[in-house]
Amino acid sequence: MDTKKKILLVDDDLDLLEQNKLLIESKGYEVITANSGKEGFETFKKVKPDACVVDLIMEEHDSGFILCYRIKKDEYGKNIPVFILTSATYDTGFKFGAETAEEKEWIKADAVINKPVIIDEFVKKLEAFFELKK
Amino acid sequence: MNNYKPKVLIVEDEKGLRIGAQRLLTGEGYEVIVAENGTEGIKLGTESEFDLAIIDLKMLDIDGLEVLQRIREKFPNTVCFIATAFASYETAVEATRLGAHSYIPKPFSPEELLSNLKDGYQRRLINLAAQKFRKEREERLLEVAFEKTRMNTIVNSITDGVLVVNKDGLAVLYNPAVLRFLDLPKISVEEYILDKLHPDIVKFFHKFFDEENQEQKSYSIQLEIKPNREFFIEATASAVRHPGNNVAGVVIVFKDITELKRIELIKSQFVSMVSHELKAPIAAVYGFLKLFNNDSIPLTAAQRKEYENRSMVRLDGLLKMVNDLLDISRMELKSVQKEIKRVCVHEVIASILELFQVEINKKGIIVIFGKDESTQCINADGDEITRLFTNIISNAIKYNREQGTITIKLSLSDDYLLTTIKDTGIGLKPEEKNKLFTEFFRAKNEMTKNISGTGLGLSIVKRIVESYSGKIEFESNYDEGTTFKVFLPVIMSD
Repeated sequence: MDTKKKILLVDDDLDLLEQNKLLIESKGYEVITANSGKEGFETFKKVKPDACVVDLIMEEHDSGFILCYRIKKDEYGKNIPVFILTSATYDTGFKFGAETAEEKEWIKADAVINKPVIIDEFVKKLEAFFELKK
Repeated sequence: MNNYKPKVLIVEDEKGLRIGAQRLLTGEGYEVIVAENGTEGIKLGTESEFDLAIIDLKMLDIDGLEVLQRIREKFPNTVCFIATAFASYETAVEATRLGAHSYIPKPFSPEELLSNLKDGYQRRLINLAAQKFRKEREERLLEVAFEKTRMNTIVNSITDGVLVVNKDGLAVLYNPAVLRFLDLPKISVEEYILDKLHPDIVKFFHKFFDEENQEQKSYSIQLEIKPNREFFIEATASAVRHPGNNVAGVVIVFKDITELKRIELIKSQFVSMVSHELKAPIAAVYGFLKLFNNDSIPLTAAQRKEYENRSMVRLDGLLKMVNDLLDISRMELKSVQKEIKRVCVHEVIASILELFQVEINKKGIIVIFGKDESTQCINADGDEITRLFTNIISNAIKYNREQGTITIKLSLSDDYLLTTIKDTGIGLKPEEKNKLFTEFFRAKNEMTKNISGTGLGLSIVKRIVESYSGKIEFESNYDEGTTFKVFLPVIMSD
């Protein structure tokens, strides 16, 4: 890798944010963090990352969805992978996840990563997207 | 003739006959009253009821037939005899028409008279018995009719829908509530109804008439009638059986369970929320532990120390949350045993402020609270009152700005002790206000992201206040501060 790829990581849990930052950095990426949906979008506009990883439940239960939707609507954002990060899948009873086709269509997230993050799987998915774009 | 003496009225204007008959009958065990003429006869015969009456046909003042008529009008069961020496076919017919039992031709022998009276008395007993039966029968019919209207009134008053369908699928009984459950404008009696019922209910219906099916039970189903949880019903079908155990029809009871379903949803949402809130700190600690074990990520000693501390903070929070949840569940079950004592609120608040002194100093917050402002005390559980004000004051500190103020005032407001706690903190946005007492609600924004909390504190506060029949109010302006007003009833002790 010539220059490090920039990953925008958004999570309102500061501890998880830091842990995942360290994990992703250890795989040779540059990680920029934000800890709310609002700050996430501002940072996205500023740094133009190569990929985004967005926590689902932040200020509101759907802050992650909204952020993802906004990035995907953005002229620059529609060309980069956005991953939704969540522990709130159907087993916890929340009636939103990114599992059904309609949900994926609406959210337009490229993948859903379950917490806790298994870094090797994450990197594999991420690299697959970068390969595709080449 | 047992001990009862049949009462006989003799209406006879011929003295000899009158006295002779009186003597004879008294001797035979009758109670005899005599009347000297027709006028007296009517008076006596209509004043009280006689079993028997012997009326002379030809009297000087009034005709015997008139006496007969008047007595029978008043007491139709008095058995009357007409005594006469002028027996004729016409008078006999007329006397019978007017209700005379029989005709005693004069002169009569004692035996003749006695046998006539005996026969007449038997007739009276039979008449009385018949009348009694008739009356009972009428009463029972009335009762049945009354029962039927009563049944209808009750069935019609039930808010649940009741529908009885016979084996041919005709509606034989239903109440108005059914119309709402079936969304029908009306049902006619004996209308074919099966095609208007949900297919699953019809399935139940057929089960009852299935010869193979020996189960003697009811079937229930829950149906969403209007989408989006607007109208949920539960239909229960049970067999109506003949005395010989054959199924005569099916009674279907419809119940509105919309509210129940709504509560069910709230409960499951609460469980989801709790699991999510509990998962977050576990995930954080788990993450730190994994970092410690990850050889490819070298950590400095300082970093390690920091992560250990942060893990502790998360675990502390987790523990607090579990305790809060247990408290809420205890309050919900009303299993909290209150230890009611005299609690002086100003003392409670003073000791809470002392406990928080470090935090208060750290933020440079100025607390305005006159210790002797009010010495008003209430009867309450000391621990609960401490918990109540700890939660509010801790919020007032946590969400306050640096160098902010907290103003606490105690006063009396009618029968309540009013505690006002005003802070200069972040306040609430208008859209956040109605969620303030909701479990797990926490004002989330740029200013609060570093403030820890369980989101249960104010929910507990509200529950405590309400358990004392008190009330809690608040005013809040975003970026300016929040004022809580806690009203606790003052019970004056003599």
